Amino acid sequence: MRSVAIRTVTHAARNGRRAFANALQRRRTWLAAAVLGGLLPLLFPPPACAAEAPPITDTLGVIRIPKGAPIQIGGYWVISGPDTALGTDSMRGAQISFKDHGNAIDGHPIKFSVEDDGCNAEGGQTAATKLAANPNIVIVLGPACSSAATPAAPILWRAGITDIGTACTAPALTAADRKPEYDGFVRTVFSDSEQGKADANWIFSKLGAKTVVAIHDGSPYAQQLAAVMTKTFASLGGKVLSTEAVAPTDVDMHPVLTRIATEKPDAIYLPIFVAAAAQLVRQAPTIPGLEKTPLIGGGALMAPELIQAVGPGIVGLRIAYPDVSPEAMGKGYPAMVEEYKKMFGEAPISGYHANSYDAATMAVMAIKKVAVTAKDGTMYIGRKALRDAVFATKFEGVGGPIGCDPHGECAQFKPAVYEFTNADSTTFKIGVNPKRIYP
Amino acid sequence: MTAVVRARPSLFHAIARMNFVDIALWAMRILVLVVVIGGTAGTLIRSRYGITEWLDFLLFGVTIGSIYAQVALGYTMVYGVLRLINFAHGDIMMTGAFAGYFVANGTDRSGLLAADPFLAIVLTLLVSIVVSTSIAVLTERLAYRPFRHVRGLAPLICAIGVSFFLEQTFRGLFGSSIKAYPDLPWKPADFVVYGFPIPKIDVLVVACAILSMTVLYAIVHHTRMGTAMRAVSEDADTAALMGIDVNRVVVFTFALGGAMAGIAGVFYAFVFKQVYFYMGFTPGIKAFGAAVLGGIGNVPGAMIGGFFLGIVESVGPALFFDGIGIPAPYQLRDVIAFTLLIMVLIFRPNGLLGERLAKQRA
Repeated sequence: MRSVAIRTVTHAARNGRRAFANALQRRRTWLAAAVLGGLLPLLFPPPACAAEAPPITDTLGVIRIPKGAPIQIGGYWVISGPDTALGTDSMRGAQISFKDHGNAIDGHPIKFSVEDDGCNAEGGQTAATKLAANPNIVIVLGPACSSAATPAAPILWRAGITDIGTACTAPALTAADRKPEYDGFVRTVFSDSEQGKADANWIFSKLGAKTVVAIHDGSPYAQQLAAVMTKTFASLGGKVLSTEAVAPTDVDMHPVLTRIATEKPDAIYLPIFVAAAAQLVRQAPTIPGLEKTPLIGGGALMAPELIQAVGPGIVGLRIAYPDVSPEAMGKGYPAMVEEYKKMFGEAPISGYHANSYDAATMAVMAIKKVAVTAKDGTMYIGRKALRDAVFATKFEGVGGPIGCDPHGECAQFKPAVYEFTNADSTTFKIGVNPKRIYP
Repeated sequence: MTAVVRARPSLFHAIARMNFVDIALWAMRILVLVVVIGGTAGTLIRSRYGITEWLDFLLFGVTIGSIYAQVALGYTMVYGVLRLINFAHGDIMMTGAFAGYFVANGTDRSGLLAADPFLAIVLTLLVSIVVSTSIAVLTERLAYRPFRHVRGLAPLICAIGVSFFLEQTFRGLFGSSIKAYPDLPWKPADFVVYGFPIPKIDVLVVACAILSMTVLYAIVHHTRMGTAMRAVSEDADTAALMGIDVNRVVVFTFALGGAMAGIAGVFYAFVFKQVYFYMGFTPGIKAFGAAVLGGIGNVPGAMIGGFFLGIVESVGPALFFDGIGIPAPYQLRDVIAFTLLIMVLIFRPNGLLGERLAKQRA
């Protein structure tokens, strides 16, 4: 080695610094190649020395879980910000389901990692990228917001990960013409194509409004739901005066409400999220012409944060929501609510915990169905096989019967309308404040 | 000596010399003019809005504009004195609003708000001013003073860092959910002037904003400290040579800006009710735009810029976009506001009232 160094330096002294660097570079390259060549057999051992070949093959890849290693299940929901209740409630539903299954599948403990998607596209993209980068994630649950699901589901499916949506209801996600990149997406919650129709029916027939103005916030959920509702409303014979839009973070709603007041609608439909809805509900009665106009909120507004953000004006606000009363849910629902209270010390804070419970149950059932355990205890799960098993799963969930159509829609829908009765956010309890006024 | 008489370049020559950028800029100006004039004409022809609605829009615009103006003053004063854009200023407004929330909520629950609203509001303002001023002075001392003589972008990046720090600290301390200010107990809630209802809270906000801006103007132009501020913003080194303690002036500037932001925060929260950790970001950006619009470094400019931005935001969608048939124009409200900002800057790069720099340097 020393003579090599002396030769190198002498060489350099003769030919200057550049030659020295070149010479050193050549020596380094030779040395690196020798080291790598020596290490190669250790880094890439011949197959005969590794674990045995997987007993199954799969077009999208096989996940290998050694004996005793956890099964990693991912989740992403909105667990911060004004809509925290929506996501946290869903997350809890999944956690209860895993607990009911003993937090393990075939001897492997379940490791549940949850990301925050902030209920927007950027958050969904970030959460999905993080989950997709982990090659050991078997399946993903969530999200609660269609704004997050829209970019996230394709990212997850590109990595071969099936995504079971728990509260994202935008029609496009399970439409018949959805793009192939959504093939790995199913949901245990209804589609807004049903919600929108039901809302239009209620507003036209039961509320008696003949003209309506819809306000959305540009998000996929709100925009698509408003579109379905206005289309159905018009087909029933009502008149949609206009469809307005605000930004989810907008604060000053006076100009848009003044504009709406000039049209004198019989009702205003606002299927948007807590922050913007609270502003609208608070500011609408101060606009001349809208003092008595009923406001109908949507499925993201069942949250104690809404009561806190609106204040006294919340009393009398109605929201169109799926029927989550015990009579409308599956048989196991009351027991699930009791478990929720025991585990988390409070009553459910939103309405989609049952859907999430069913999503987690579906995941566990599908994994049990396709997982193959080799003789040495290693579990193998084929990604495409898992996706097909999820689509084929049928059972009586706590939210109602679960069974998927070819486009990923797995849940039934029962419409209801709730009304807030008390402006104290500590009195929030689904069924009491707000209480169900229809059916 | 022969004078060289140069023929005026003809329009033809001017056009021939235009490059792509000039053409694009002119196309933008023409497009904006078409939208503004065509839209206005269309809206007025359709006459969907009566005089009541236009006055409503104007009033909302003046209300939100007064809040932007107060926050813009903080930006403009700090820039004048330090040549630093204090991006954390919007979040200082947030800290004031948050501090005021606890007082306002407390007075509401104890009944003081219903019994004596003025006292409750004054208490809220006092606490908010104390908190926002302290935080502003602290950020100057800890985050900006070490960068006083650093050239380049480091001070700006530090300001952005302070902004993040304040937001996340408040989020960590108080949670990320929205908190609501209580409703003010005045019933009825409106003054009625010639049959036109004006919300009392709006009158209060605009009146207090004008009062505080007048006081600020008086301080800047009629007190020794204000003169010192103007001297430092003109030439800091010479001012130091004249015996002015630059550090004290800077601290005073930050304190003044912080106090204005605290007042703006409380009024913003009384009008729009919702307080959360991120609420300062958008008004901060808009107020910065307003300060630039009026001429950064220029105190009356910031006030005019704030009101202008507020009014355009409120009236613009109805006046311009409604007339050319764009549906749901309020989604594009920020587009209008910032496009107009860009237009003003294209025509007058130094802002409406021009950047106040020394005209003659010896």
